[in-house]
Amino acid sequence: MGKFFHRTRWATPYALLTPGTAWLVVFFVVPMYYLAKMALSQGLFPLFSFGWAWHNFSDAVSAYRPQFVRSLEYAGIATLISLVVSYPLAYWIAFRGGRWKNLFLLLVIAPFFVTYLIRTLAWETILSDNGLVVRILQDIHVLGPDGRLLATSAAVIAGITYNFLPFMVLPLYVSLEQIDQRLVEAASDLYANRAMSFARVTLPLSLPGVFAGVLLTFIPAAGDFINAQLLGTPQQYMIGNVIQSEFLAIRDYPTAAALSFVLMGAILVLVLIFARALGTDRLTAGTAA
Amino acid sequence: MSERITRQAFLRRAAAGGAVISVPGLLAACGGGSGSGAASSTATSTVKAVLPKTITFSNWPLYIDVGKNKTHPSLVQFEKHYHVNVNYIEDINDNDSFFGKIEGPLSQGQSVGRDLIVMTDSSGLPQRMIQLGWLEKLDKAAIPNIKNLIPAQQHPNWDPNRDYSLPWQSGMTGIGYDPKKVGGDINSVDDLLTNPKLKGKVTLLTEMADTMGLVMLSNGDDPSKVTDKTWNAAKAKIEKAVKSGQIRQFTGNDYAPLLAKGDVWACFAWSGDMVQLQADHPGLKWVLPKTGAMIWTDNMLIPKGGNVYGASVLMNWYYDPKIAAEVEDYVNYICPVNGAGAILKKTDPKVANNPLIFPPKSYLDNAHIFDGKALNNPKYKQDFQHLIGA
Amino acid sequence: MTAATPAVATYRSQIAAPVRAWAFVRRHVLDVYALLALGYLFLPIGVVVAFSFNNPAGRFNFTWQGFTWKNWANPFGFPGLSGAVRVSIEIAVLSSIIATILGTLIALALVRYRFRGSGTTNLLIFIPMTTPEIVMGASLLTLFLNWRIPQGFGTILIAHIMFNISYVVVTVRARLVGFDRHLEEAAMDLGANELVTFFRVTLPLIAPGILAAALLAFALSIDDFVITYFNAGTVTTFPLFVWGAARVSVPPQINVIGTAIFVIAVTLMLANIVWQNRRARRNA
Repeated sequence: MGKFFHRTRWATPYALLTPGTAWLVVFFVVPMYYLAKMALSQGLFPLFSFGWAWHNFSDAVSAYRPQFVRSLEYAGIATLISLVVSYPLAYWIAFRGGRWKNLFLLLVIAPFFVTYLIRTLAWETILSDNGLVVRILQDIHVLGPDGRLLATSAAVIAGITYNFLPFMVLPLYVSLEQIDQRLVEAASDLYANRAMSFARVTLPLSLPGVFAGVLLTFIPAAGDFINAQLLGTPQQYMIGNVIQSEFLAIRDYPTAAALSFVLMGAILVLVLIFARALGTDRLTAGTAA
Repeated sequence: MSERITRQAFLRRAAAGGAVISVPGLLAACGGGSGSGAASSTATSTVKAVLPKTITFSNWPLYIDVGKNKTHPSLVQFEKHYHVNVNYIEDINDNDSFFGKIEGPLSQGQSVGRDLIVMTDSSGLPQRMIQLGWLEKLDKAAIPNIKNLIPAQQHPNWDPNRDYSLPWQSGMTGIGYDPKKVGGDINSVDDLLTNPKLKGKVTLLTEMADTMGLVMLSNGDDPSKVTDKTWNAAKAKIEKAVKSGQIRQFTGNDYAPLLAKGDVWACFAWSGDMVQLQADHPGLKWVLPKTGAMIWTDNMLIPKGGNVYGASVLMNWYYDPKIAAEVEDYVNYICPVNGAGAILKKTDPKVANNPLIFPPKSYLDNAHIFDGKALNNPKYKQDFQHLIGA
Repeated sequence: MTAATPAVATYRSQIAAPVRAWAFVRRHVLDVYALLALGYLFLPIGVVVAFSFNNPAGRFNFTWQGFTWKNWANPFGFPGLSGAVRVSIEIAVLSSIIATILGTLIALALVRYRFRGSGTTNLLIFIPMTTPEIVMGASLLTLFLNWRIPQGFGTILIAHIMFNISYVVVTVRARLVGFDRHLEEAAMDLGANELVTFFRVTLPLIAPGILAAALLAFALSIDDFVITYFNAGTVTTFPLFVWGAARVSVPPQINVIGTAIFVIAVTLMLANIVWQNRRARRNA
C-alpha cells in the first residue's frame, strides 16, 4: 500500500482536491459564467442580448461609488471591532476552556439557531429609542437628548459585527488552540513577562487564525444588505442593497451582474493586499514536510 | 411566447409525469402564432371539464383560514366536495422576490409547478405578466360566483374584464400613528413629511405604488395617471424630507415593531397590520389621509402551464360568500366578495363592523390605485430606488 | 531562611495586599472579559427566550404583553412551522457534513502540497465568499433551469454545500498551517504507512479545526435565506418560513423553536462531554 502511494505521490493533491473543486466548478463557476455573460449584456427585462457591454462596469462604478466605498468601510470597521472582541474570547475558550471547549464553541454559534429576523427584532427591542440602553447613553451624554441608536450607521455596523462574530471567533480559536503551551513557558523561562510572551509567541503563532477570521468576516460583510435595510436609513445603504434592488425591483440584470463583479473584484484586491502585508506564504502553506 | 415550449419539451415533460402541467395550457402554447388568449379559450372549450388529481396553490402566509390542528377548513371542505387534493404552499412573501423565482422557468417556457398564485397589483407584476403572456385566462364558465365580486373591483384598469385575475384580499395604505406620541390626531401626509415635531419618527414604505401614490395625492395629483410632472413633484417632496432627517427609514412591514415600541410615531401603514397591532396596542390608530388613501389588491392568477379548469373551480369556491366569510374571519384584510359581510354580522360582528376589514363606501371612494404603466416604467423605478437609498 | 520573621509578616499583610489584589485581577481579567463577550453574544438571545413566553393578543410578538406557558406547550401550533424546521435541520446536518469532508480534503491539498494550480484553487475558494448572495442564488437557479433540474430539497442541499465549502477550507487551513509535521514523521518512522498516520495522528490533531468548520457550516446553512429562496422550489425552510410569515405575523412559537434547537444542541453537547469524561476516567 505504501509503495502505491509513493509512486503516485504527485497525484495526491489532485485526488484530494477533486471532489470539492468539482462541486465548486459545477455549481459555482458555471453559474458565474452565465452571470458574466449577463454582465456584458444589455436591454430591458426580459429581453437581454449579449453585446460585450463593457460600459456596464464603468457605469456601475460611477453611479454607485458612494455605496461601494461605504460597504468596504462598514465591513472594515465591523471586522476590526469583531477582531478586538473575538480574540480574547477565542483565547479564553482555547486556553481556559478545558473540557468545555466544544460547548463554548457551540454557544458561539447558538445565535444562528434563531433566525436573523428574530435576532434583529431582539436588538431593536434592546436598542429602542425608549429603551434602557439609549436612556443610559443619553444620561451620560454620549447621545444627545434626541439621539438614537437605531437607524444610524452605528446600528448597521453593530449589526454586521454581531452577525459575523462566529466567523471570527471560530478560526481564531482553531489557530490558538493549537499553540503549544510549552513555547509560552519557554518564553517566560527566558525572562519574558506575560505581555511579551503574548506579543512575541502567541500572537504571531495565531496569525493564520487572524487571517482566516478577517477573511471570513470582511468578505461576506462587504456584500451584506440586510443589516442596512433593517437597521439603517437611506444614507447607510450599502452596495448589497443596490444589487438587491437592481436585481429584484428594477430587474436590470446586466447592471446587477456588473455591480457584483466589481464588488468581487474590489474585495479580492483588498484581500490580496492584506495577504501580502501579513506574508501569506506563512499563513496558507504549511511547514514543509 | 408560444414558440418557447417546443414539442420536445412537452413530450419530455409529459413522459416524466412531473409537475402539474395542464394539457390545455400546453396545447394552447404549442397552438401556434395566435395569441395565448385565443388559443387557451379554444383549448378550454374543447377539453372536458375534468378536475386534476392535485391542484397546487401558492399563497402568502397566513392568508387563509386556519382551524384546529392547523388545517385550513375552507380547503378541507373543497377537497371533500370535489375529491381533489390541494397542495397549499405559503411561499410567497414578497412580490419581486417571488417573481424573480418564477420568471426563470416562465421565460424559458417551463411550468412553475403551480396552478394558482397570488400577487399584488401595486407591484405592477400581474400587469407585467399579462404583457409577457405568462398568465392563463380564467375559465369563466367554471366561475359562476364571479357575480359576487364587489363592484369596486370589477373593472380594474389593468384587467378590465377580469380575464386573468380575481381578487383574493385587498388592503388599504394610509397613515398609522400613535396619538399619544404625536400629541393628538393627524390625517395629513404633509404633516408626516414636514412637521418638525415628528422629525426622525416617520417611516415611509419601500412599496413604490403606496409611497409615491400617497404623496402624489397630497399634492392633489392623480396617482392612476402618472406624468413626469406629477412624478417629479412627489419625488422632490420626499427627497426634501429624507435629506432633512424627517424620514427615519423606508420599510417593508417592519414598521410594525417600530410603531409598537414607540420608535416610530407616524408612518405609512397597511390596514391589515393595524388590525393586528391594535389587538395588543388599542391606542394605535389607522386613518385615511384626508387627501386620499391607496388600495392594493392581491389577485389570484393562473401561471402558464397551470391547470386552468382546476384553478378556476378553486377560485369559484372562494367566491361563495359562506367560504369567503370563513376566510375573512381569520385573515382580516379587505374582502372582495359580496355577502360575506352580511354572514359575518351574525357570526362575528366584531370583524364585520371593523371599518378596516369591511370599509364603508366613504373609505373606498377615497382609495386609489396606482398607474399600472408607471409601475413598470424603468425610469420611474430607478428614480424611486435612488430615493430610498439603493 | 526558615520561619518568616516579623518583618516579612508585616510586608505580607500590608504592602502585599494591594499587590495580591492586583495579581488576582490580572489573573481573572480574561475571565471577566470572556464573560462580557459571551454576555454580548447572548444579550439578544435572552430577549428572544424571554419573548418566547410572551402572550400577545394579536399576531405580532413585538412588545411584552404578559407571561404564558402556552407557546411552549404548543410549539408547532403554527401551521407549516414543523415541516420547515425539519427541512432546515436536515439540510443543515447533511450540508455541513458533506461540505466539511470536501473542504477538509481541499485544505489538506492546499497546505501540504505544492502543485500546479494551487493559486487558481485558492482563488476558487475565495470568490464564492465575495459573491453577493442574491446573484449567487439567482445564477444557480439559472443553472438548474437550463439543466432541467427540478428545484426542491435537492437543489437547496446542493446550494448549501456549495457555499459552505469555502468557509470550511479557510477554517481548517488555519489549523493545518501550524501543524507540526514531525509528529507524522515520527509515526511513519515507527512503521505506520500514510493512511494509518493520517487517521491515527493527523486527523485527531486537526479534529478541533474540523469540528469548528462543521459548526460554522451548520450555522451558515440553518440561517441562510437568500440563496435558499431562489433554489427552494416549493420547499420551505425555517428562515424562509419566518420571513414569509413576518408579513402578517411574528408568532412567539418562532422564538420557542429557536430556543429549543439551541437547548437541545447544548444538551447533546453536554451529554457528549460527560460521556467523554467517563471514558477518560475509565481509561486512566
